[in-house]
Amino acid sequence: MMKAPFDVVTLATPFFVLLVILEILAARFLHTRGAYEAKDTAASLGMGLGSTVAGLLIGGVTAAATLFTWEHRAFTIPYTAWWAWVALFLLEDFTYYVFHRVSHERRFWWAAHVNHHTSQHYNLSTALRQTWTGGVAGTWLLWLPLVFFGFPPGMVAVQKGISLVYQFWIHTEAIGRLPKPIEFIFNTPSHHRVHHARNPRYLDRNYAGILIIWDRLFGTFEEESAEEPCRYGIVKNLGDFNIVRVAFHEWIGIGKDLISARSIREVIGYVFGPPGWSPDGSRETSSVIKARWRASVAQQGQGEAADRPGA
Amino acid sequence: MTFLYIFAGSAVAVALLVALAAWAGTPYQGPDFTETEARRLFAEEFPTEPIIGLWLAADGAVARAGDRALVLFRVGDGYASRSAPWSAALAARPEKGRLAIPTGDFAAPKARISLAAWPPDDAALGEACA
Repeated sequence: MMKAPFDVVTLATPFFVLLVILEILAARFLHTRGAYEAKDTAASLGMGLGSTVAGLLIGGVTAAATLFTWEHRAFTIPYTAWWAWVALFLLEDFTYYVFHRVSHERRFWWAAHVNHHTSQHYNLSTALRQTWTGGVAGTWLLWLPLVFFGFPPGMVAVQKGISLVYQFWIHTEAIGRLPKPIEFIFNTPSHHRVHHARNPRYLDRNYAGILIIWDRLFGTFEEESAEEPCRYGIVKNLGDFNIVRVAFHEWIGIGKDLISARSIREVIGYVFGPPGWSPDGSRETSSVIKARWRASVAQQGQGEAADRPGA
Repeated sequence: MTFLYIFAGSAVAVALLVALAAWAGTPYQGPDFTETEARRLFAEEFPTEPIIGLWLAADGAVARAGDRALVLFRVGDGYASRSAPWSAALAARPEKGRLAIPTGDFAAPKARISLAAWPPDDAALGEACA
């Protein structure tokens, strides 16, 4: 199974369109949660359309690297075995968690991923706001170990497609909380709203693809709080809906910083440090923003405790 | 060739979905830039910058914090925030009722708001700095 027998994402595309239509109509006529703004929708869908072209441009390189890895694999895992699919499901989902965490916590890969978070909306069209530069950033390399260990490339492609399709439906405000066992195991609209929120409390949380258990295991899980509604977007939102800006703004930012860099340490920090890193600490990383938020919450807590009668 | 057909079909679908979103008219209710709301948003966006002056517009606000100008400006039904040197903000002049403050940031090169009465006169500036 060198090649996937079908492209899961292509097959699912008509359903994506249908569900976006249903979400818009539900918001319009049933007043379900789910705001749409035409320019924002155009930017999201334009990015999605452009990502298919970007994928085509880098496709030859990824195919060659995958083929090379397959030819030098350690084992051969039969794609007809049920256990192989179970193992791949877990391993691919864990790979996605690693990819997604790196894509948020290291600026080089954040530059390729940030576009997906630039919408101030959270609806099904946001799911389609896909990267144009992920291929160039080389994040696909993270999936090669699966091929090296013997999972046929076509099988890996199918599982990647299933993961991508799964993650489409969770980009919605129309669905609240699901039953507890589902919320405990799976990535859900509630968990993923947290991931897209720019509130300090929610920054860099819930990286999961299909299973939220990875976040629970590695300490990156955050529950959605009714007291703190999600505010979507990035720490500093974009100034317009220009899709070139959406796709490349962080890369331009890296380029400008590199021009001003004065040492190798600064070059490495600007490229591979956390987003918001600066040599003198004058900018803010997610950790700094979260630490300040925690301090202010602790201060408020102390204040409220002191105000209580008898304190 | 197959890719081209799929791409063309997708482009048509995109156009129809955008038209549907425009027709449905279900945007967020964005912030109204009253003094209370603007101060709340400035505190949220720039928690370490004490504001010493505030100028409101229908679609944004400018605040002075030391030698920095802090700007909130509407983007669609949302908003963005940026800071710029106060001198750069003072040097900006409204054109057709719109003020564009350069930010030096490719992600939002100009913070545009409908602030026709700009720059603030000396009295307002003195009041802000007092």
